[in-house]
Amino acid sequence: MKEENRDTTHFGYKTVESTQKESLVADVFHSVAAKYDIMNDFLSFGIHRLWKRQTVACAGVRKGHRVLDLAGGTGDLTAKFSQLVGDTGQVILGDINDSMLKVGRDKLRDLGLVNNIEYVQMNAQALPFPDNSLDVITIAFGLRNVTDKDEALRSMYRVLKPGGRLLVLEFSKTDNEALSKLYDFYSFNILPNVGKIVANDSESYRYLAESIRMHPDQETLKGMMEEAGFEQTSYQNFTGGIVALHRGFKY
Amino acid sequence: MLISVLTAMAEQAVNRLLTLEPSLANDLQGAAHKVLALTLTDLNLSCALHYNGEYCFVYGHYHDDADCHITTSLDCLSELKDPSQLTRLIRSGKLDLDGDLHLAQLYSKAFANLNIDWAEHLSRYLGDAGAQHLVQQAKQCNARTQQHKKSYQQVLTQLCQDELNVTIHPLEMQQFKAQTRALSSQLAALEQRINALTD
Repeated sequence: MKEENRDTTHFGYKTVESTQKESLVADVFHSVAAKYDIMNDFLSFGIHRLWKRQTVACAGVRKGHRVLDLAGGTGDLTAKFSQLVGDTGQVILGDINDSMLKVGRDKLRDLGLVNNIEYVQMNAQALPFPDNSLDVITIAFGLRNVTDKDEALRSMYRVLKPGGRLLVLEFSKTDNEALSKLYDFYSFNILPNVGKIVANDSESYRYLAESIRMHPDQETLKGMMEEAGFEQTSYQNFTGGIVALHRGFKY
Repeated sequence: MLISVLTAMAEQAVNRLLTLEPSLANDLQGAAHKVLALTLTDLNLSCALHYNGEYCFVYGHYHDDADCHITTSLDCLSELKDPSQLTRLIRSGKLDLDGDLHLAQLYSKAFANLNIDWAEHLSRYLGDAGAQHLVQQAKQCNARTQQHKKSYQQVLTQLCQDELNVTIHPLEMQQFKAQTRALSSQLAALEQRINALTD
């Protein structure tokens, strides 16, 4: 029984074999990559831009820093970090999904951001960087899709420099009962239907709603970060806790 | 969330100014890649400006290290426009500055020097005559508002002092202070005499 638990994981509300999750998640993002940005704006009413703004404000990125925007998707955070690190710094846009990376690369090139950005297809559980080599790591709306979150957090801790910080922006749990009911109705009734109409893909957006519910709440994720070795961990809730920004330091 | 919206709007406004007024970008060159944090104690709000040489980022809820950190109240904010007032505000305890004073002065000077030629910028949309007329009307309207404000203040002051007698005239206040000081010194003298007699 123990063996069986270790080899299975969640994919939304379904339980699948751990080895399957990566390809299932990959299918979801291959499917939504082309319309990812427009759907983000549409489904969050543009609020995701405010959540990301606050993430940039908390990142403490300065000139010359080496920043990893993990699961960076279409590069919203990378675009900001690229402007902040200047010519002497570097931003690495990392994603496990090559379709998302391609969309991100095209978008950032169209914005004229080319000098200090690298695009690397990578798995968050085995980051391809030496120990103590990055100043800041951000992972926005990506951690819930990772098969083994603890391993990913340990991997991030390993590659961060002492003094470096990790920021996890992710959907979380709201304490407000009324908001919670409204959010559930929106997630399971409106969101998949909008996904079907706009992106012709209701399944991916059903997975989005389900994966959010299966993601650890604020305190659990904070504890997971501490177990991975992070210190001074804290979080701030956005929009009543629908989204939370966790921050932890490596010393 | 409101703060994020406000800082996003402020960021848009500052960056619009940077494109419209190249002199602002020149004045801010010394602030490139430096962070100026501002904490307003009465609003319990911390925000920061981070200029990268081209674009200015405005952060809300900023609690990180900054090259210069100013802590002040909302009332003193308008006085920061004058760089020469910085040291006076620090000495009077109205402003606390931690870090590079030069950075604060640089921002203060850059925004104080800002002289936006609104007519020039609006002329692209309204034409030269229309833009000039609109700007002139706006200036006149502003002058009239200031004049009305001043006159209403005077009327209100006179009403309170002379008609309703709910406040006193500054001269009466001065007279009262002088009399109180005189009484205080007389009392001190009397106290000394009593002490001398009782010893």
